[in-house]
Amino acid sequence: MLILTRKLGETIRIGNTIRVTVLEAKGKQIRIGIEAPPEVTVHREEVYQVIREQNILAAQAGRDSTVGESLSHIWKRLKNAKEEVE
Amino acid sequence: MKIATTRFGDISIDESRIVEMREGMLGFEHLKRYVLLTQEKETPFLWFQSVDDGSLAFVVIHAFMAMPDYEPIIPDEDVKLLEITSTGPEDIVVLSVVTIRSDPFKVTANLRAPIVINAKKRLAKQVVLAEGDYPVQHPLTENATNIEGKKDDKIPSVPAP
Repeated sequence: MLILTRKLGETIRIGNTIRVTVLEAKGKQIRIGIEAPPEVTVHREEVYQVIREQNILAAQAGRDSTVGESLSHIWKRLKNAKEEVE
Repeated sequence: MKIATTRFGDISIDESRIVEMREGMLGFEHLKRYVLLTQEKETPFLWFQSVDDGSLAFVVIHAFMAMPDYEPIIPDEDVKLLEITSTGPEDIVVLSVVTIRSDPFKVTANLRAPIVINAKKRLAKQVVLAEGDYPVQHPLTENATNIEGKKDDKIPSVPAP
């Protein structure tokens, strides 16, 4: 990992198109401004972590051998519930 | 080709139906090839089966069935990666990964990170949406009625035995 020290208001450039600026430091929180072209998506790392965990959970359910039978059961229950409401 | 799956036993699949995920599923980045399987015609659920790990299969649903007014904005870099060239939606399939739970009312679909497939090129990616604020756990109960009767044959799925 490349480690750089920056002061408030200073910027790091990644490639020719991405600029990361330190905007504010308050206690343990740092506000960062990111300028990037539209084809570059920027997410908090936690978003990926949450999706990764959800995938693992979904895959575990898929491994459970009873899921096949329960899909039609689940579907029936969902449909019936909806009909009861209407 | 034949693949040995935990769930469906040995199944033979047409290689032209294999979908390539260059970046894999998040958490399963090493697995790049999947095939879409149907199991039961009377439910909207499909299986997104790994070709290279027979024990890995995700339950999926067409995302628009989980949320009829779903409007995912696919980031430019993903459009490029999936080699989407036409502006029309005709060759694009958007699937949502379903988390099955024993209580049917707790079954959820991931609308934040749909599997977007370019059906023509057989390329897919689990796209993390930057806009729209869609949930990772969207309860399927909310739209059970709208799912009825919709069908999508863009990706011919393989009937599982």
